Order: sequence, then C-alpha cells, then structure tokens
Amino acid sequence: MPPIIDTNICNGCGKCVQVCPCDVFYQGKKKETPIVKNSYECWHYAACVMECPVPGAIELRIPLSHMILYK
Amino acid sequence: MEKEIVKTDVLCIGAGIAGLMAGIRASELGAKVVIIDKSENPIRSGCGGLGNDHFHCYIPEVHGPDIEPYIDEFHHSQLGSLRNRDFIRTWMERSFDMVKLWDSWGIPMKYNGKWEFAGHALPGKPLTWLHYAGLNQKKILVREAKKRGACIEGRLTGYELLRDEEGKIAGAIAVHNKEPKAVVFEAPAVILGTGVTSRLWPAPTPACLFNTRLSPANTGDGRAMAYRAGAELVSMELEVIRCGPKYLSRAGKASFIGVCRDVDGKPVGPFVTKPDIKYGDPIVDVYQGIFAEHARQGKGPIYMDCKGITDEEHGYMVHWMANEGLRSWMDEMKKEGLDFRENSFEFWTYELFPRGGILYNEMAETSLSGLYAAGDEFFSGISGAAVFGWIAGENAAGYVRNVSSASLYEVEQYVGEGVGFLNDILARQNGAEWLESNVALQQLMNDYCGTLRSEKTLTAGLLYLRRLKDKVHKTLMARNQHELMRCIEVLNLVDLGELVMMGALERKESRGEHRRSDYPFTNRLLEKLLAIRMKDGHPALEWKGV
Repeated sequence: MPPIIDTNICNGCGKCVQVCPCDVFYQGKKKETPIVKNSYECWHYAACVMECPVPGAIELRIPLSHMILYK
Repeated sequence: MEKEIVKTDVLCIGAGIAGLMAGIRASELGAKVVIIDKSENPIRSGCGGLGNDHFHCYIPEVHGPDIEPYIDEFHHSQLGSLRNRDFIRTWMERSFDMVKLWDSWGIPMKYNGKWEFAGHALPGKPLTWLHYAGLNQKKILVREAKKRGACIEGRLTGYELLRDEEGKIAGAIAVHNKEPKAVVFEAPAVILGTGVTSRLWPAPTPACLFNTRLSPANTGDGRAMAYRAGAELVSMELEVIRCGPKYLSRAGKASFIGVCRDVDGKPVGPFVTKPDIKYGDPIVDVYQGIFAEHARQGKGPIYMDCKGITDEEHGYMVHWMANEGLRSWMDEMKKEGLDFRENSFEFWTYELFPRGGILYNEMAETSLSGLYAAGDEFFSGISGAAVFGWIAGENAAGYVRNVSSASLYEVEQYVGEGVGFLNDILARQNGAEWLESNVALQQLMNDYCGTLRSEKTLTAGLLYLRRLKDKVHKTLMARNQHELMRCIEVLNLVDLGELVMMGALERKESRGEHRRSDYPFTNRLLEKLLAIRMKDGHPALEWKGV
C-alpha cells in the first residue's frame, strides 16, 4: 500500500509528514526517514509527492482496489 | 493527557479556505487569531489542498449589471435552493471582491489575461463558474494569514465547544494527534470551517474508507460540535450524490471535456455528442446517479469519452485538471500508459453525503452568540468558503471588541468532563476500535438510510444506530493520540448519522436524493427547512421557512 519512501534518497526533512492531511506518516526524530504507519488512511492525493524536495524520494502507489477502469 | 490553556480572541477550527479567509480578515481588523487544523502544516489539507479550478462568482462586466437573472440561474445550479435569495445575493455580490483579492495575492484567477467561464452549465444558459488555477491556493492563503499575525497550530482536532453560563461561546477543547495533550482555548468567538462530512456512507470501495471524493479527514466535526453545543443544523436529511472516475474516487468531473457514452458508443445524455470545451457533458451535473442506475438495470458501464478533442483542447483540459486535485489520478494514467485521446474512462456514482449542516446567515452567524460558520459547514463550495469565511472573520472581530472575555473558570466542569471522557477512551485496554465503529456506522447508513428510504427501514435503522451509539460511547478505545483523533471523528459521525436518520424519517416526501418508497412524490408544502437542535440532551426537530 502507498506511499513508498526510498530510504536511500530520503533526506528526512519531514515535509511529507507535515503536509499529509490524513496523518499517514510517523517520524520519530527530526532528520529520520519517516515511516508509512497508517497506509489504509491514505487518500492517494499526492500532497506528499508534490511537496517532497528530493525527486524520486517518495512515490505514490495506487492500490489495486483503486485501479482506474478504462477501455 | 495534559491540559494546555491558550487565550485568544478568535479561534478558527479548520484551516481550509473558510478558516484561513476568516483568520486573515479577523487578524487584519486587529483581533488575536488562532487557526487550528488536523494536519501539521495546512498548505495541502482539506478539499482544496491540491487545488480547485471552479469558483462560483458574479462578475458584472461578464454577466451584466443586473444580478437578479444570475441569482435565478444560481438556484438551478448544483449549489442552488435551500438558501434564501438574500443569502445568495450577499454571496454573489461579494464574490467578485474575493476573486480580485485572490488574484492580487497570486492565485491566478484569469486565463490568458481574461475571465474564463466554463463548466457546470447547460448549453445556452449563463456560465457562472470562473475557471481559475487554484493549485497553490492553500499555500498562498496560509502565507497571507501568517503575514497578518494569525497563529496557525497544526495537529489539533476540534473536539467540543465551550459555552458560559449565559450560553455565549467561551472557547473550545482540541486534541493533539501526536503528543498526549488537550488544548483548551479560551476564546469569545469561534469560527467553524471544518468542511464536508465524508465517511458517513460506504465509499465505492467499501473496504477502503478513505477512498472518498472529497477529503476523508473531513468528518463533519464542525456540524457535530455545533449540534452538541446547542446550535441549529438544517437539511441534514437532504443528501447529494456526486460522480466521477471509477475506482480511484476524485472530485473534478466538470473538468473533463468529453461525452458520457454507453458501451455501444451512444451518448447517455441529451446535451452533447462531441467534446465541448465550454460545457463538458452536463449529464454529470444533472443526473449523477445515472452511472449506478445504468449498471443496476444491466445496461453496462458508462464511459467518459474525450476522444476527438484537439491537442489544443487536450492541453486546456489537463491544465485545469492539474489545478483541480486530479494530480494523482493523472499520474496513474501516465504510469498505465493511458491517454484521453485514445482511451475512455468508466465513471461511477459515488456515495451520498450531507449537503445540509450548520445554519449560518449572510453574516456567517449561527444560532449561538459568538459562534460563526462558513463554507462547507453548509455545503457551499470554494466561493462560499471564501466569501463567508471573510464575512465570518469580519463579524467575529467586531463581536470580540464588544464582548467581555470569556472565563474558563465558568466552564471548568465541562472541560473536566470532556477531557475525562477522552482519557477513558485512552485508558481502555480492550474495546471497540475506531475502524470497526466507522464500518458499523457505514453499514447502517447504507442499509437503512441509503438511496431508497421508508418509515419501516428508517425506524429499524434508528433503533440499531442508537444501540451502536451507546456501545461506541461505552467501549471505544484508542492506543495513541492518532487513534484518539479517529475516535473523535467516529463519535461525530455517529451523532450526525442519528440526525440524518431522524430528519429522513420526518421528511415524508421524496426530494432530490432523499427518496422515500412510502412517499414517492415531492410535496410542495414541504419546501421548508427541517431544523434539528439539541434540547435537554436529545435531538428536537422543527420545520421552518427557507
């Protein structure tokens, strides 16, 4: 379940934690890579992706339950 | 939990468009303002967090000097009726001022140097929705609020309003969602701007409660707090439905430039046969239940088909979509290799949500002295949030100049009871979790107060819901502050569910999405508001004029 943080790239700034409207993330200490604690409470709105200052450090994975139906 | 006491003149609960506009205006008029929000930093929170692209407004140079025909059209829009003409006139007369203000702050309200109106309209009828680029609107409003000295406190969920012995507002209790503390605000004026009520009915993906069209963090907290404090709510029984892409739920249907077609390619609505950049396909506004109804009748899915748009029109459409919070939906399209010019997308009818709420007048006043409300506390969209947030801030700042500061001493007992109740929830080792409670409520709302209602189903539903409410109050548990926030949301939703069911039982007619199998007709004698307020600890209903 989303979002996915690349721990090798994340600089631990905590911006994703701060802007998430659903309190999905948890960051124990400053500069620590946040953990995705409440993934089922994600709105898949991409506020975290939008505000992340490091390209590629966070990605939103849309779960299969939310797949787009098209033809 | 520890108790922290904060004194201020005006407390805004919710840092959405309404709360920020209220905070901005009250601050610039000299009031000391605190704005609280569930998120740590509200630049992306709420239904406008990743932007909006339609602002309902009246611009004399576009619509002509006479506002009356415009007001007539407003009554037929997706925000119309249920409001009296004076309220709508104030709203629309002030709307252009807000547009100019936002534009001066750096929210692009013009497109290529002009006022661009499109969407949410029928062909040949006046266009009343201004297309604007609201992607960063929240960032800008937060900046403007801070610039004027308003204090923004994050991670706080409003829990209960406080009133003094005379019944005037004295402040509110809020709860932190990370640190074990409750913050007691001593404030003679409180402005509620907590937005819509999501998560009352099951989402199109019932196992995923947070897959909602509008923000799932908005759970009617303002309505529930106002009701418990004795304020009047209205029209809670008159729900609305919306539609949009399936399954990833998202608002923004009016930004699609396409035609809704059945599996054979036939348009399902009478309005358009090819993509139209001014009107989109109005069927998504006027008959939002069509997608579920079509499927129920075995006619198969309906697709939003944008094929046939030019590259220029495509660029125009995705520009607005990116400003309308559809970012993650479009990112997913890209990942899947999809293109509007080649693919069509199934649309679906989403769950019900209450349109009614706190009755606030054109001064943004509620029925309680010192309590103001704005925006989607009674469904009104972006411009309603901007206009009435601004008006609420203006009037609250005036009110606090003439009212002696409330004393927490008088309300100490209520603070103790409120915080004590939450401490009980935190202390329980076993009990009902917030998630199972929310699911239980959604099941009851769906099965007993859904899209087809009757006295028999509603009566049974109320019996079950009150039983659930009792169990929730006695057994709800939270392992930490985050869960406590969710528990507060569920307590609010359960209260509101009861009010919706009571209202639905009382309204013995069918009107809009309130459909009664035992009263399948619309009764013009009931073109009235159904008000609910708490009397002696219980909900009491009263009919009143619009």
